[in-house]
Amino acid sequence: MATKIDAEKWYRRNSERIGVPVELVKKYFREEFETAKPADAPLEIPDKIEIFYKYTYGRQSRFFREIRENKRLYGARCPKCGKVFCPPRAGCPHCYQDTEWIPLEGTGTLMTYTIVYFSNSAFVRKVPFVCGYIKLDGTNFLMIQNVYMEDVNKARVGMRVKVHFQEERDGSITDLYFVPVDE
Amino acid sequence: MRKVAIIGAATTPFKSRWLDKTLYELAYDVTKAVLADAGIVKDRVDSCVYGIYNDFFARQYQPDCLVHDYIGMAPRPAMRVNTGGATGGSAIRAGIAEVASGMADVCLVLGAEKCNDCFNYEAGTTTPEVLKAINYTADLTYEFPTGRTAASVFALAIIAHQGRYNGLPTKEQMAKVSVKNHRNAVKNPVAQSPKLLTVEEVLNARMISYPFGFYDNCLYTEGAAAVILAAEDVARKLCPKPVWVTGVGAALDWAFLGNRPNLYEFHSSREAAVKAYKMAGITNPRREIDLAELHDAFTGTEIMAYEDCFFCEPGEGGKLIDEEVVEPWGELPVNLSGGLIGCGHAVGATGIMQTVEIVLHLRGEAGERQIKEARRGLVQSIGGIANAWTVVLILEREGK
Repeated sequence: MATKIDAEKWYRRNSERIGVPVELVKKYFREEFETAKPADAPLEIPDKIEIFYKYTYGRQSRFFREIRENKRLYGARCPKCGKVFCPPRAGCPHCYQDTEWIPLEGTGTLMTYTIVYFSNSAFVRKVPFVCGYIKLDGTNFLMIQNVYMEDVNKARVGMRVKVHFQEERDGSITDLYFVPVDE
Repeated sequence: MRKVAIIGAATTPFKSRWLDKTLYELAYDVTKAVLADAGIVKDRVDSCVYGIYNDFFARQYQPDCLVHDYIGMAPRPAMRVNTGGATGGSAIRAGIAEVASGMADVCLVLGAEKCNDCFNYEAGTTTPEVLKAINYTADLTYEFPTGRTAASVFALAIIAHQGRYNGLPTKEQMAKVSVKNHRNAVKNPVAQSPKLLTVEEVLNARMISYPFGFYDNCLYTEGAAAVILAAEDVARKLCPKPVWVTGVGAALDWAFLGNRPNLYEFHSSREAAVKAYKMAGITNPRREIDLAELHDAFTGTEIMAYEDCFFCEPGEGGKLIDEEVVEPWGELPVNLSGGLIGCGHAVGATGIMQTVEIVLHLRGEAGERQIKEARRGLVQSIGGIANAWTVVLILEREGK
């Protein structure tokens, strides 16, 4: 069955609707419109799901505000067991006590890692990169974060790292990253 | 608790893309197949449990309600289970609770997943968008923005394991698991990735997330699988070869990996195995289990699973593949279906596909893959944020 609709208009309408350049829409749907097909041949249609937010960090707000405004890293300490969480927790999951803020040095140890060669669409341009779990000095748990390195193959378990902050900070966890400490 | 039997089992082919079927149509097909396998009409079904993992894959919230409608099960009670990669195992566990409690005599447990409707226009492939849909499972505040993937989480665990146990498992041991599971899939008519590979080919494949290369990964899969569970008295009336569920164990660990006591083992897997063995009265799993379907999302994960299921001592998992214990001709064959690597990982359906595989062996209906001594099998289903979830099922044939 040959198409009876104006394919060019269809490409433009759908390009606008899903926010994908018209050449790409055309590239992946041209075959549908330029080939005669039986009426019951599988039909594919473009779509996307998009939801906007203005979300709250709740009682973790100070953690992100200190990073954004002051380039300072804070942990949350349980007054009962003394354990320090970074990422922070408003309440200790072991003792059910409200935690208190304590400043951290920002140095730590890489406990395990991977080198990401293949990631989702938001990160494909960044690969390969080192992503690992870091035990920050003065804390009891681990934080996942990227370690920026010239040569990703030099990443090692036990490597010492130090926090760095982005020049332009948004108030998100990617405002910070780690770099190896030369020792 | 009432005794629960599996009286019906079915799997659609596992494929990378079902262009000619929607999620609902795959669910419909497997419903017909599983009712036929059980030899019952749908009126015998009292309740349903649906294992569907990802709403972004499905382009739909609460797809379970629509599946329920499409397969004609209204107005029975039904609920959806979603525990990530462990969804299939968890759905069966929920179905067991329905029957064991007496809320239902017959329960349909159906898993279905269809991921490759996702499409990345810039890359011209589905994968980056599928990965993004999966990555929304990571903590959006602290973890998702780092770009870590599902592969990374398993990779982080393996690197920690190698750090703890003198570099074990080796890349060669992991490669052997890939060779085995791709080869096992050759005999499985529903498998997505039947392949005869060499260890060198696996080792030389392009890197995905260090230390995992392309053939160390399972692929994304579309498919559906289902089982029908029944109470003992009903099963004995309806089914000549009931398969009994004699052990169920489950655990949900800390979902932030950084909060776990260590990263070189999956605590939930060990916990779930202990619970399932206790319920089934198993004291020496290596000897008392005849075959297992383990969650081999990655080759190293299968090796960790040997250890976490207590088939060997911690750190010694690699020996089981070196010594061919887990090969089809070995003492404890693992992933005769091909597993996630060979048969495929249609997330919500995976644990059910693995269960169907064990059921076929226990009934003596596994065709070319059939092993001789199949009396008791194990299914392990892992998933959720940072693989915090594990379900372990022990299945036994009648008169074991």
